Amino acid sequence: MDFDRSRFVDRELLDPARVMEGAHGGYGRSHGGIHVENGTDNSLDFLKNPVDLGTSIMAVAFKGGVILGADSRTSTGVYIANRVSDKVTSVDEKIYVCRSGSAADTQAISDYVTYYLDMHRTQYGKPPKVQTAASYFRELCYHNKNNLTAGIIVAGWDAAKGGQVFSIPVGGALLERPYAIGGSGSTYIYGFCDAYFKPGMTREQCEEFVAKALSHAMARDGSSGGVIRMAIIDENGVERKFIPGNKLPYGPL
Amino acid sequence: MRRSSGDKLRDALGLGGFSFDNARRNQVLALKGHMIPKARKTGTTIVGVIYEGGVVLGADTRATEGDTVADKNCEKIHYIADNIWCCGAGTSADTESTTALISSQLELHRMSTGKQPRVVTACTMLKRMLFRYQGHVSAALVLGGVDCTGPSLYTVYPHGSTDSLPYVTMGSGSLAAMAVFESEYKSKMTLEEAKALVHAAIMAGINNDLGSGGSVDMMVINKDGNTPLRNYDRPNLRKFRQDYIFPRGTATILSEKFTPLSSLVTIETETSAMQVS
Amino acid sequence: MQYNGAAVIAMAGKDCIAIASDRRYGLRNQTIGCEMQKTFQINDTTFVGLTGLMSDAQTLEQKFRFRTNMYRLREERDMSPRVFSNMVSSLLYEKRFGPYFCEPVIAGLENGKPYLCGMDLLGAQVYTDDFILAGDCTEAMYGLCESMYRPDLEPDELFELVSQCLLSGVDRDCLAGWGCTVHVLTPQGVTTRHLKGRMD
Repeated sequence: MDFDRSRFVDRELLDPARVMEGAHGGYGRSHGGIHVENGTDNSLDFLKNPVDLGTSIMAVAFKGGVILGADSRTSTGVYIANRVSDKVTSVDEKIYVCRSGSAADTQAISDYVTYYLDMHRTQYGKPPKVQTAASYFRELCYHNKNNLTAGIIVAGWDAAKGGQVFSIPVGGALLERPYAIGGSGSTYIYGFCDAYFKPGMTREQCEEFVAKALSHAMARDGSSGGVIRMAIIDENGVERKFIPGNKLPYGPL
Repeated sequence: MRRSSGDKLRDALGLGGFSFDNARRNQVLALKGHMIPKARKTGTTIVGVIYEGGVVLGADTRATEGDTVADKNCEKIHYIADNIWCCGAGTSADTESTTALISSQLELHRMSTGKQPRVVTACTMLKRMLFRYQGHVSAALVLGGVDCTGPSLYTVYPHGSTDSLPYVTMGSGSLAAMAVFESEYKSKMTLEEAKALVHAAIMAGINNDLGSGGSVDMMVINKDGNTPLRNYDRPNLRKFRQDYIFPRGTATILSEKFTPLSSLVTIETETSAMQVS
Repeated sequence: MQYNGAAVIAMAGKDCIAIASDRRYGLRNQTIGCEMQKTFQINDTTFVGLTGLMSDAQTLEQKFRFRTNMYRLREERDMSPRVFSNMVSSLLYEKRFGPYFCEPVIAGLENGKPYLCGMDLLGAQVYTDDFILAGDCTEAMYGLCESMYRPDLEPDELFELVSQCLLSGVDRDCLAGWGCTVHVLTPQGVTTRHLKGRMD
């Protein structure tokens, strides 16, 4: 049988349960025939753009847990496809991710990791670690980096190490951070975060940090906006929070 | 002939799927500057709304080929299951065959589980298929239905991403339709309110988007089943038409031949009894 | 596809259908012949007209023959027009990413009632109850068809209408023309007529 194991699509076809095995080198772009219906006759061409999470996302670890936050804008070109989307997605009971990049890619990756973590939990009989989830994400993002546009922040709580934040930028590196920001809006708030963040903040202080940082990113970045959605994860479980678009804490500190 | 690894993989696994036999030839023809025919697209307005107890889907009925209207009254609300229907925008062939394929897979799933299929199952099957083709199968879908969890409504984009919202629009007329939804939508609408809203949204697409036109099609799905409202409103029916018949003999006929249907022909064979003398 | 040139039209009448095509075969502006067959009878109740790249049209016609013959051997009956057009559609869609450059028109009698189906090169079906056009000069034909078509025409009236729509269409097309073939299918049989057309 002649197929290319380094290609995500081929592996997916062959054995969907083990797409991430046997991916070694050789990143060929997928082939394909000519794309027949590509006309340039339509001023609504932007509707054909892949759905993009032009985004502001972040996650912060505090003593005993983590907070994830994201804006809610999903756009196709200049059109907002969804103004109340939830980019804070669950992959396990106490492990969540913030997604940025292509909506299709990040949804597919998250679905795979959800499935892997379910299997992991079944096999080991206990909840997976955040590090495990992050490694699964890294594996998928790194081995398929030529076919994916995905910047992901994995955060969660486990019994071994408490609240943790991992950042997986486009390309598939894996970095553990005290806090992480991502998406197109994050470029506007690097300075703010450097100035505002200090180690050892309480849960309430972290909540305020996330809300303030995201509000400022959303204000400056055209492809971020809408509402803020947050997930606060600690030993006791997950609490979801929501800040409507007219109550964003934007402005002088 | 050298075949791509994808073709071999397909054969080895005994799968159906696409054939790329002509792809190379077509690429060469295109490079030589031949006019390649355009695929039919549905420059479209499709919408969906959740109301108290069900879902209303809506679509216009125009199919276009370039700037020509290829079909003035096509059907864009496709069958997935009795309780799940799907509006399609994008390349006609893709929306039609993608929904037909998922419909048949879901029917097999229903037979093996013996339960009414769920909308989220259809949604997952669609997104997995479209993601696998990386946006080359250009089907933009509005998927709606009612199952054991109540009414649900999804949009599925060609690259395989999905959204779940109480009111959605898709296609080139989505901007016009969404403008109507954003100003008029309210939660917990009655069926009549939902139908009026969907009608207004599709009319906005028909009247303000060049790619959309024709009539308004609707589909109501609730726990009692589905109610197709094909051609719910026909605002653009032709009102004046010439009533002229060409007299016989207008065209000059060079030759004429009549062949009766083979089923109406009896072939008689002459049989004679064997003679013994 | 403006290479070989073709025009096909199919129309529904009262319990009858007509399908017609021009007869030219050319390579762009050079005319090679004027006895090209572009409409094919599949069985007693089904016709198909093929436009586009004629090499693909002929390849497809052979594939159709093969599949309809196999169907008849297995099922001991003929494909109805509806079954046939679904078969054509899936055959074309299989080549979604390397299509045949051919736009088929299918016309027939399904249980004695007219059945018309048009398709693009990827196999997207369009069903109408009046008429279907394909080929290079559809724009020229659409106008006449839209204004002159009337439902429930008798076979003879339908023949004249189809002929006039086709003739005036191909007169405005450099790549199609040079005589026409018109088939009228009724529950009794098929009347095939060759028309005189402009040879320029």
